[in-house]
Amino acid sequence: MWMKSEDELVEKVLKRDHASFELLLQPHRQGLLNMAYRMTGNLEEAKEVCQEALIKIYRYLNKFKKGKNFKSWIYKITLNSTYDFLRRKKKYDDIVESQKGVLPVVGPDPERQLMNREIKEKIEASLQNLSPKEKAVFLLRDGEGFSVEETSEVLGSSSISVRTHLSRARQKIRAQFEKIGLAGKREVKG
Amino acid sequence: MNCKKVKRLLSLIVGSEIPPSKTSAIKAHLEKCPECQHEYDSYILFLEKTKEWLARDRKDWEDREWQGAVQKAIKEGKHEVTPFVLWPVKKAWAYALMGVLAAALALLFVVRPSFIEKEKAPGSEVLTQTWAQLSGALLEESQQDAISMTIVSKETGLKIVWFFNRNFKLED
Repeated sequence: MWMKSEDELVEKVLKRDHASFELLLQPHRQGLLNMAYRMTGNLEEAKEVCQEALIKIYRYLNKFKKGKNFKSWIYKITLNSTYDFLRRKKKYDDIVESQKGVLPVVGPDPERQLMNREIKEKIEASLQNLSPKEKAVFLLRDGEGFSVEETSEVLGSSSISVRTHLSRARQKIRAQFEKIGLAGKREVKG
Repeated sequence: MNCKKVKRLLSLIVGSEIPPSKTSAIKAHLEKCPECQHEYDSYILFLEKTKEWLARDRKDWEDREWQGAVQKAIKEGKHEVTPFVLWPVKKAWAYALMGVLAAALALLFVVRPSFIEKEKAPGSEVLTQTWAQLSGALLEESQQDAISMTIVSKETGLKIVWFFNRNFKLED
């Protein structure tokens, strides 16, 4: 049903109904921004990347095949725009530095706040230790809730490759957690 | 299923990315092995925390900013219009078409004159001669130098006569 209405909106946009373009992208506006943000490590750059992606989405909308997964298609465009951006700026080496002291964590409980900040910093730091593909897989699957099939569609790789990269990404992040004792402690059953 | 194999697969078991056929064997092992079960619980907690944090620490556009970005996309990202190109569009096809045209031109300039020569068979020469003789005779027979045209008014009976020479020019 949703797919059908998305197809209808695509048709409307192609008939120069500009209001439908916003309606079409509205459900994904946060997801696209977050994806770009986690990849670039900077909110302003993420917005720049998203702007570039939105232009491409509008420009090539006539090439989108009816009945295909629109969500995967726009994430693919955004991800490719992110790669282009990072390549252009040669940002990979500077990401860890630029991510230090991003936004403060808001929370009423100081202990929890400290814990949250620690988790946040660790996740962000460990994200930067991942390869671009591992990061993309992890963010799509665990951040945006994509299925393995959808993730493989976005990345243009096999589901086996997605599972391999996902496994590696989680292991690397967990290793970071273990270093500070946040890996999750539970009593052994039995 | 042994501990080593289970631990290797844990990162995918926790996210349900393992096919159901393997899951039952892993679960059977976890029930028997407290160490692996502990590892599994710990992994589950880690993943929950990570997902929770990723969900909580989400960024969003300001409405005005978002609308501006959409409008900019509409303005700058005009749909690609495929230019009207006559078939063929591919380079190879274009070369092929050029080849065909060249062959056609060769036929026109090289083959056709010889074809015309062949047409000038003895029979056709006779025909040409006959036509020239006939038209000459007709010209000779025509002795008329002028032609007249008369217009008569029905009401007044007035007559106007025009004379034209061989070249159809009005004569006095």
